[in-house]
Amino acid sequence: MPTIRKIALNVFAWTIVLAVAFPLFWMLVTSVKPSFELFRRPPTMLPETWTFEHYWHLIERTNFLTYFRNSVILSTATTLVVVAIATLGAYSLVRFKYNGRESLAFLVLFTYLLPSVVLIIPLYLLLVNLGLANTIFSLVIAYTTFALPYALWLLRSFMAGIPEDLESAALVDGASRLGAFWDVILPQLLPGIISTALFTFILSWNEYLYALVLVNSDSARPLTTGVMNMLVSAFNIEWSLLMAASVMMSVPLIIVFAFLQSYLTRGFGAGGVKG
Amino acid sequence: MPSQTRTLLERRYAALGVMLIAPTVVVFCSVIVYPLLSAIYLSFFSIFTPTLEGDFVGLGNYTELLQTEVFWSSLGTTLIWTVGTLTLQILFGVGMALVLHQNIWFRSLARSLILFPYFISTVVAVLVWKWLFNDLYGIMNHFLISIGFIDFPMDYLGTMPNALISVILVGAWKYFPFVVIAVLARLQTIPDALYEAAKIDGAGPIARFFDVTLPQLRDVLVVIILLRAIWDFKEFDLIFLLTGGGPLRDTQTLPLLVYQEAFALNDMGKASAYAVVMMAIMLVFMLIYIRRTRTEDGS
Amino acid sequence: MAAVVFSNVRKEFGSFTAVHGLDLSIAEGEFVSLLGPSGCGKTTTLRMLAGLEFPTSGEIEIGNRVVNDVAPGKRDIAMVFQSYALYPHMSVAQNIAYPLRKRGTPLAERQKSVAATAELLQLTELLNRKPRQLSGGQQQRVALGRALVRDPKVFLLDEPLSNLDAKLRGYMRVELVELHRRLGRTMVYVTHDQLEAMTMSDRIAVMEGGELQQFAPPTEVYEEPANRFVASFIGTPGMTLIDGDLSRDGDHWLFQADGISMAVATLKDNASPGPACLGVRPEHVLIGEGPVNGVIQVVEKTGHENIVVLELSSGQRLTGRVPAPQSWRPGETVQLSFDADHTHVFGPGPRGIRLNRDGVSAGKASAPPLDIANANTPTPRKAQS
Repeated sequence: MPTIRKIALNVFAWTIVLAVAFPLFWMLVTSVKPSFELFRRPPTMLPETWTFEHYWHLIERTNFLTYFRNSVILSTATTLVVVAIATLGAYSLVRFKYNGRESLAFLVLFTYLLPSVVLIIPLYLLLVNLGLANTIFSLVIAYTTFALPYALWLLRSFMAGIPEDLESAALVDGASRLGAFWDVILPQLLPGIISTALFTFILSWNEYLYALVLVNSDSARPLTTGVMNMLVSAFNIEWSLLMAASVMMSVPLIIVFAFLQSYLTRGFGAGGVKG
Repeated sequence: MPSQTRTLLERRYAALGVMLIAPTVVVFCSVIVYPLLSAIYLSFFSIFTPTLEGDFVGLGNYTELLQTEVFWSSLGTTLIWTVGTLTLQILFGVGMALVLHQNIWFRSLARSLILFPYFISTVVAVLVWKWLFNDLYGIMNHFLISIGFIDFPMDYLGTMPNALISVILVGAWKYFPFVVIAVLARLQTIPDALYEAAKIDGAGPIARFFDVTLPQLRDVLVVIILLRAIWDFKEFDLIFLLTGGGPLRDTQTLPLLVYQEAFALNDMGKASAYAVVMMAIMLVFMLIYIRRTRTEDGS
Repeated sequence: MAAVVFSNVRKEFGSFTAVHGLDLSIAEGEFVSLLGPSGCGKTTTLRMLAGLEFPTSGEIEIGNRVVNDVAPGKRDIAMVFQSYALYPHMSVAQNIAYPLRKRGTPLAERQKSVAATAELLQLTELLNRKPRQLSGGQQQRVALGRALVRDPKVFLLDEPLSNLDAKLRGYMRVELVELHRRLGRTMVYVTHDQLEAMTMSDRIAVMEGGELQQFAPPTEVYEEPANRFVASFIGTPGMTLIDGDLSRDGDHWLFQADGISMAVATLKDNASPGPACLGVRPEHVLIGEGPVNGVIQVVEKTGHENIVVLELSSGQRLTGRVPAPQSWRPGETVQLSFDADHTHVFGPGPRGIRLNRDGVSAGKASAPPLDIANANTPTPRKAQS
């Protein structure tokens, strides 16, 4: 009896899991089917002929690699800037006492929830006036608007989890505040920093609206708007090509995901829900 | 706070703290506070986007906005979208979390697969779903016809109410993993002793769910609902990419309306007014959420 | 020469006052415990001494230097934390070496000091381990080693034994006393455990509600508690306190309560008739004969003695201590009296002050207050290099 119930539960659970994951499976399958096979009815579940021609096509005949490079530069730059600023900021918010600290923490949380469309018009005007429109740099600036509050909020809860006694001990042992930060707090914060960095990277990698509004030249366009452009501008929609692009676009996320799952879930718990 | 004579050391520490927060404050003021204030300022003008020239119209944008049919219908669509997708996310998310909390085979693989829709780019999700929804060759139509659910291929995104339902479903698919992870994390902290005590007191599985699990999940669910309500309300990418607000304006939510007004109809002043009103509506939820997390911080 | 002096030190957290104008002077080489219930301000006091909290007003001196504006690392102190606060990412050796590294001690000398400290604390085998690989007792010794390694002027210990099991705690008490005797350094020890304070200290500072209640050697705190709070806080089982009235007939004082009427020994000149409180330690309750009737409620056998809880006709409960073997049974009615030479009289209120003349009721009239400097002959200070 318990075994039957166990099997039933497993079948039930895995049916749902596979149904949820099906679109991703379909994306992979479509990307390795030859174009003619796409229009077969009924559709073939697994490709009869495997081909990587769409991937070659993507790399050789489209701007995909430029977009990819732009996305890497953009996301890495945003992550580095934001995590550096947020680490210092979180340390200050959690471990120092000065006037206005409380209101600042409030402001961080407020902006964490702020919709992008409210900021986008003034930001657009600002960046146009500064002559920065259509550059990757302008997107780094724009991305800090959502990434910095997010990273600060996450790191703040990680920082609060480090026992205050450790810092006190370092101070008594002869370290300055910054010395204690470097010797004791940073090593303890490292898992939090890594997880925050991963999340910030994913957020920047996936961002669409700012990229749509602020950049309209292929030399600065990141993957999100670049790939979407391939859909819109194509005369004939080549689904295999788009699915190949989707797969390639998700590869960095899969890598991040597979190797650092423990970090990810940790950050998720700390920032998403505990607040 | 009474002004106290602070020691030199205390003042030095405070100065260091201010120095460390300074970069954050500078960035915040220049890319968040300043744009936020200027959005409010802009909403009192009528600005032509291509030339960026405009006139002061005072509250004109607001009075006009409240009389526009488009605003009210967009607000209605936003509410339907938010309530619809949020409900599905919560129901499906909590259910999935309960299932994944059981000791099923390859549990960590199942968890990763469930999480994936949340982490992929909205662009990828939309491309994949557009392909699934394709009227002639999409597998969705093929599947529904072969199980006899429909007789003819359906147009998922081009007609109403299909478009709104599709958007809500894809939204639920993309964002329910957030609920799963959050609830799962909380489930793992419920002490086994509670379940054992309930068992000894004679509670069956269903009674245990309602008397032990649900009360323990209550707090985390409130936070999740608030947070997801805020995020769903301001969702732009998914709807914009899936339907562009169409057919006609039937799936146009407030964020899309702002974008439309600013960059297609070229009136940044009016767009700012829309954005400000939208923010004002969200403010209610934001303040509830903020108050909640603060009281939790305090305890 | 005073090693540590608090002058009118006050600490407020917002509207809450944690320490009210504390005056305390700790002698060079002395072992002083700050003792009190949780929330009494003892830890705040220690943290102010360490430079981890800042006094709202008042001055703190270490070695005749005002340290209010001196960073913790420059106060020439070492501290052992209740949580041990070992650096989790550093090995035991690195943990112990850290204070030396921060002082710029050359590597060779550093290694020598670490080795010597490890030897002293039997940590040599564990030097390459990480803190999480150690037992609680071992972690405790590493924390101690980190404090010992640089020979500071003052050691601060914040409930260092409270996370150990009872047996290890007893062992470490002896170790710490031994260490103090050997090093001859000033030690300030925060604890809520009166046994630790009584057994280890030269003097105990009893604190309550952010105020110093009494600062005296253990015997004096026990035998001549300065007020009703100290009397009730020190001693297990606790002193029986009976509320009643004090009346005077010339030189003779009479204490009366429901069912009790007894003459008490000479009181201070400022004592006045009126409401008062009589305190009797368990060992001064004489069971067997006397004017008072009591019913035995509970007999606790500890082996070498029995703790007897009695109830008087007024409902007043009191605790007595009698050597084992004894054959009292619960329910039995017995006669009892109090050892009049050892009763304590306090003024009214929870902190009513002691009214007995100093050194009279405790039967130690002739013994001078403990002289700290001579009591435990500290070893001469090592020459500082």
